[in-house]
Amino acid sequence: MNYEIVCGIETHIELATKTKIFCGCTTEFGGEPNTHCCPVCTGQPGSLPILNQKVVEYAVKAGLALNCKINTRSHMDRKNYVYPDLPKAYQISQYDEPLCEKGYIELDSGKRIGITRIHIEEDAGKLVHENGYTYIDYNRSGVPLIEIVSEPDISSAEEAKEYAEKLQLTMRYIGISDCKMQEGSMRCDVNLSLRKPGDTKFGVRTEIKNINSLSFIQKAIVAEAERQADILEAGGTIVQQTMRYDEKTDSVAPMRDKENSDDYRYFPDPDILRFSIDEEKVEEIRASLPELPFDKLKRYMNVLGLPEATAKLIFRYRKVAEFFQGALAEGASVKNAANLIVGAIFSNMDTEEEKELFDIRISAAQFAALVKLADEKKINIGVAQGTLQKMLESGKPAEEFIKPEDLAGISDETLERLCREAIDANPRAADDVRSGKDKAINVMFGYIMKKTGGKADIRKAEALLRKLIGS
Amino acid sequence: MAISKTDIEKLAWLVRLSFSDEELERFTAEFDEIIAFADTINQSIEGGTEQIRSVGARMVSFDELRSDEVAPSLSNEKILSNVEGYNGFFSLERSRK
Repeated sequence: MNYEIVCGIETHIELATKTKIFCGCTTEFGGEPNTHCCPVCTGQPGSLPILNQKVVEYAVKAGLALNCKINTRSHMDRKNYVYPDLPKAYQISQYDEPLCEKGYIELDSGKRIGITRIHIEEDAGKLVHENGYTYIDYNRSGVPLIEIVSEPDISSAEEAKEYAEKLQLTMRYIGISDCKMQEGSMRCDVNLSLRKPGDTKFGVRTEIKNINSLSFIQKAIVAEAERQADILEAGGTIVQQTMRYDEKTDSVAPMRDKENSDDYRYFPDPDILRFSIDEEKVEEIRASLPELPFDKLKRYMNVLGLPEATAKLIFRYRKVAEFFQGALAEGASVKNAANLIVGAIFSNMDTEEEKELFDIRISAAQFAALVKLADEKKINIGVAQGTLQKMLESGKPAEEFIKPEDLAGISDETLERLCREAIDANPRAADDVRSGKDKAINVMFGYIMKKTGGKADIRKAEALLRKLIGS
Repeated sequence: MAISKTDIEKLAWLVRLSFSDEELERFTAEFDEIIAFADTINQSIEGGTEQIRSVGARMVSFDELRSDEVAPSLSNEKILSNVEGYNGFFSLERSRK
């Protein structure tokens, strides 16, 4: 394709506050329809919206984590449009004085994707269309959102995915949202146009609305870029419009005519006072931020010396990282702690969600006590793994499961005897190893492990086997 | 005239209202009068309406904002008491897309 992708992403994130943005109704997910509602969030005449402090705090946190400038004075605006999901016929949002501006997210390549702005606003209700009727549930109406608008700095589907992934991880880390795309607590709109390489002018853009998974962001961009390229190649022109990505057909199709931003007739909401947040408060919020995920990743690799693959498995789940660091603080070694988390604890966790929750029955201190036994070579890693599983199942400490013979390990004489037995019992495998088929050695490992209940030191066994076989 | 019939047609479309030709003429004239009245007020204030906003509006500080504490919501019956509900939902007949 002889075109360059110019892409920007608008991301809506539901904030994990207890109450809605302008009233005290709960933000709890689900519930019977229209039971988390009051006069404010159903837009009854005479009701008065009052801004939730936590929403401002969380938005500032997001801004700081994304390297933004925080505007110390801000106000809310009315964005007018008529649709039944919006009971007031306007959404309370921010127009010309957003809370945060001019930040960035850095990609692995070092390229920075600019963040134009972050503003706070209210979510709309949920509509169900059935049998010629529209049924409305306003439980979600007034749930606080931040909208994060990127600059059109993204130039490929891969960059877009990486941007969204980093954004998601960062927001989860700072604890302002669970960012579950499937459940709608994070939704992305992708703006996309094409231009010839070297052109400085932007082409006509389309907007793909409400994408609800990271891989769909990537696929939708590929599909839309191909669609636009086909039109341009055939001498046609792109129509500015809103599109929808259909994951079943992996294609994009128009939704409705794009309204100009003027049509929203923004004006300052006269019901809500302007608000200020002083520098001191901003600094207090900055100080409350945890170590950000990608700073942590760098530290795990460069300071702790973890291999990239292991570091990446641990850093991305905040609770796992906290557990890992807790174990290190108790004196566990980096290597054994990391390997036991990734190799043993994660084997009980199939889904991303389980790792995210990291709901386990042992403390970091109990885990560290076990790791230290392995560090001091009092038990081998196989015993450590087995013990860890029992600890996870029971919530009991390591000493409950480690027998004196585990601590003693297998003597060198016993190990040599077992290696000889393993070779005698598997002559063909031994021949295979001699002729260079390295994998055949696993047969003998199996024999030794079975005889020792997994307690043999596998490295020692390998060296001995090779010596005895003469490979 | 500051407001044209086309402006009114556009506004009507935005708020999902439909008017007859006769109504459009009438609304255009009335709207124009309303805007002219607003202009008169605007001109009588030094600095215009922007000035009113910035002078009159008090600024609240972060600490004065509402704390994030749950307050009881209304019952479903109460929320739906002025409308015809359906299974706990507000319900609308779909007349326009």
